[in-house]
Amino acid sequence: MFKDIFNLTLLQHTIRTATPLILAALGGLLTQQAGILNIGMEGMILLGAFFAVVGSYFFGNAFVGVALAAIVGLIIGLIFALFVIDLKSDEFVIGIAINIFAGGLTVFLLRSIFGVKGAFSSPDIIPLPKINFPFMDNIKFLDIIFNNHTIFIYISWILVILTYIYLYKTPHGIWMRGAGEYPNALETAGVSPRKMKYISSIFCGIFCGLAGAHLSLGYLTLFTENMSANRGFIALAAIIFGKANPMGTFLAALLFGFFDALGIRLQVVGVPAQFTQMIPYLATIFALVFVTQRQMNKRKKNKEEAIILDE
Amino acid sequence: MERLTKNKNFEYLNSLFISIFASLLIGALIMMANGRSPLAGYGALLTGAFGSKYNIATTFAKTVPLVLTGLATAIAFRAGISNVGGEGQLYLGAFAAAYVGITFTNLPGAIGIILAIVAGALVGGAYAFFPAILKVKYDVNEVITTIMLNTVATLFTAYLVNYPFASSQGKMGGTEMIAEQFQFSRLVKLSTLNTSIFYMMIIALVIYYLMEKTSYGYDFKIVGQNNIFGRYAGIKDKNQMVIAMIISGGLCGIAGALEVFGVHYRFLQHISPGYAFDGMLIALIVNNNPIGVVLMSIFFGALKTGSVSMENSIGIPSELVSVIQSIIILFIAGEAGFKNIYKNWKMKKIAKSKVGEENV
Repeated sequence: MFKDIFNLTLLQHTIRTATPLILAALGGLLTQQAGILNIGMEGMILLGAFFAVVGSYFFGNAFVGVALAAIVGLIIGLIFALFVIDLKSDEFVIGIAINIFAGGLTVFLLRSIFGVKGAFSSPDIIPLPKINFPFMDNIKFLDIIFNNHTIFIYISWILVILTYIYLYKTPHGIWMRGAGEYPNALETAGVSPRKMKYISSIFCGIFCGLAGAHLSLGYLTLFTENMSANRGFIALAAIIFGKANPMGTFLAALLFGFFDALGIRLQVVGVPAQFTQMIPYLATIFALVFVTQRQMNKRKKNKEEAIILDE
Repeated sequence: MERLTKNKNFEYLNSLFISIFASLLIGALIMMANGRSPLAGYGALLTGAFGSKYNIATTFAKTVPLVLTGLATAIAFRAGISNVGGEGQLYLGAFAAAYVGITFTNLPGAIGIILAIVAGALVGGAYAFFPAILKVKYDVNEVITTIMLNTVATLFTAYLVNYPFASSQGKMGGTEMIAEQFQFSRLVKLSTLNTSIFYMMIIALVIYYLMEKTSYGYDFKIVGQNNIFGRYAGIKDKNQMVIAMIISGGLCGIAGALEVFGVHYRFLQHISPGYAFDGMLIALIVNNNPIGVVLMSIFFGALKTGSVSMENSIGIPSELVSVIQSIIILFIAGEAGFKNIYKNWKMKKIAKSKVGEENV
């Protein structure tokens, strides 16, 4: 039984289920770094998943679908930014509004464009192609885990590295982090925090759109109502768990993907999946307590040191 | 002073109506893009919500959970703490009530019902207590924790009804039916309107009284608006937050209990289609005013009920209503910003025209 659960297929599934989380979380960590809590990611993913299917179905090309998903993500990111940054609305209110908007709009369009309820699948929806690396074919370990995935899996890994380099090694990335931590200092330095926040929000929308496209065109090739299924919130969890650092967030997303895949495997042998599915959410709460506790201690220490210096 | 607040109320109502009107207009445009007449669409929605005794009853049946979750959010917001976890509290409260209903089947109706409502309130309140205590003791962002706890609760109850409490009738995702003497009677034939609406009214009155007429409610208001001032005034703001959050969770738990005892007569895995999120939108739209919550809940209930017949008779998908609702909240949330932009634009125009005059 142990072998039925813990095998190479589990790792293969982990990589697959983690990918949308990684993509969405990379977008969300940019807004997080720029000082915005984006809980609208759930809706952004859902819209991406729907419009990817629309593009793929009507144009007969999966990559048109992906592009459409990214464009829709961009637009929603822009709307989010407009309300949160320029109209100064509460970010959490707008996030919730976007989630409800996405849930309603996708089902509305599902019925009015495709005339179906619940789910839409068709042989005319072209899935994302799977990439085969011939050199892996003969090595069982590599072949099962890393071979024959859609291109997005590899892209998401590259994006993790690029985001890391961007945030920590480029001036632009340092401004991005400054927009969240020291907006006033950034302003004094002649960089507009507003602009940085806009950029982060737009990229968050695009990344979430891609995450959605991978959901609907990556392996199953269909759209079902509410198919984002809390992934936006798990991505948020990964960001918080990974302290909004691309590497940490990547590992957290992989970990949460692993528990998701494990849950599905456990269900096969009759163990309820609900408990493994709870793990990301509970882990986030513990991580939050831990992180804020440490911050508080640090602040206390700084204050004490300041007092000592004053004397 | 009084005139000032009156003016403010008037201004608020004004922008509320403009927001609703603009959202309905966008809804009309969507209907037209869909090749349907907006007049026919909204006509069907209106008759669907209020056209017959049955329709009115259904509208009010939908209002019950909305009022409770709306008041729940409002009371927490007033005290300066955000309860986004209403959905989870509702699920746990509903399950607790169902547990009473299927376990203590020998109790007389009235006692069982009171027990179930109390159980729902306690469980919902307890579940809200955790994020509240994390917030005041460890400064942990309650928006995130309550969102996370939502899913934990729905997963946990899903586990309960699929494994230890699964119905013996082979129906997956639900408990057994609650005992017959507990089931609320229906007030209008075929509609789901039941006596839970009276419980809701009593609770709404109590909450109104608490929020508007007691020093307690006044303290909430001060803490919510300005907690530094509240602290100077000697109000223990942290205590207020925790208490408000427990009441908030309790109300959501009761909303769940009433759904079980009045509508489904059992706990179902998907018992709420997002009532707490709708309630949150309602509270935000009416600026946490308890009377506003009741009125806006009726409006939302009517939209929900009417949208079903709009779909059946005209063929416009009922989800249009959630799109309209989310656009209302966008407009309301952006209202102050819109006004500022308009003001700046006007000032610029005036400045420009003045510069122009000088040049002449």
